[in-house]
Amino acid sequence: MCIDAQMLSAYLDGELKEPYRTQVEEHLEYCSACRHHLEDMKALDERISGAAYPQEELTRKKDQIFQLLDKKYFQEGKKVSFIRRRLEVSVPAFMTAAAAVVFIFIGGFMFFGTSAEQTGDILPSFAVQADGSNVRYVANEASLDSFTLEEILHYLDSKGYNVDISIKGLQPLEQAISEAE
Amino acid sequence: MEIKSTDRDDFRRVYDANYGLLVQVVMHIVYNLEIAEDLTQEAFERFYVKNMTFPSEDDARYWLLHVAKNLALNHIRRNKREIEMVEKVKRMPSVAIDSRDGAKEAIEAENREEVRKAIAALPENLRLVIQLKEFSGLDYKSISKVLGISETNVKVRVFRARKKLEEALSMEERDVY
Repeated sequence: MCIDAQMLSAYLDGELKEPYRTQVEEHLEYCSACRHHLEDMKALDERISGAAYPQEELTRKKDQIFQLLDKKYFQEGKKVSFIRRRLEVSVPAFMTAAAAVVFIFIGGFMFFGTSAEQTGDILPSFAVQADGSNVRYVANEASLDSFTLEEILHYLDSKGYNVDISIKGLQPLEQAISEAE
Repeated sequence: MEIKSTDRDDFRRVYDANYGLLVQVVMHIVYNLEIAEDLTQEAFERFYVKNMTFPSEDDARYWLLHVAKNLALNHIRRNKREIEMVEKVKRMPSVAIDSRDGAKEAIEAENREEVRKAIAALPENLRLVIQLKEFSGLDYKSISKVLGISETNVKVRVFRARKKLEEALSMEERDVY
């Protein structure tokens, strides 16, 4: 009895396990029909594998794509994110520190007043010049409170200022429309 | 040796060892070199992004082949080109990819086209198996891992694919002569 074609196919691929392998080999010794069959199969196999695309054509962009990936994941990926992370942390931290300094500075005036003595505690060099003898109060007689809004606007207008006034919570109509679009 | 997909040296090694293989396999599914290159790149990106560890280089290869194959099949399905695939291969520029062939190799080039056409006409389950077998040089065990089927199943499908190809190719010869 001749060899099953499927077995022959597996034999051709070197995937046939013992003891079948030896049996097939023994059979092939004396059976020319099976030998022919195997030869045909081998020829077909070579023909099929010959249809593979040539490697040099397929790998034309190999290095290019690798460099792209390398850049994306191994170079920029790591370094940029490292820098970005530093920036993300350091900028707000710096801002917070600056804000804290300003807050304490202003807070000092707010809570302790601005008498020359206490100013001297906070700003010694300024306090020397700014005590009662050389500071003149200019807004004692008439403050802004003693003028109406119209008067102030009229005054500013007469001085050549262009003043825009908006009301809190209200948007100019054109702007609201353009934002809706 | 263990492979970590986000390790640069490991990545490089796996890339070098498998790039050509992946393009080859994908190419036989999509029949367009640019698309094949894109999908191969995508497969490697996923390989990195998934940040996985493989027990060996072979396992990384199986994973990559599996992913690349699925990407290619999805691409085909999305683009609904499967029906006209045979036509596509026919139209596909043997010029573009085989242009380096001289006149001497014209017959070989023609043979290649015929075989590709015959393979493209196979049902998908047979096509993938025979492609992995013939073009990737994988053994039955590797193919079974890539496709997630049993080794016996691989053996049967390789045989059936060969049988069909034999019929298709000898029929063509009869047509010609």
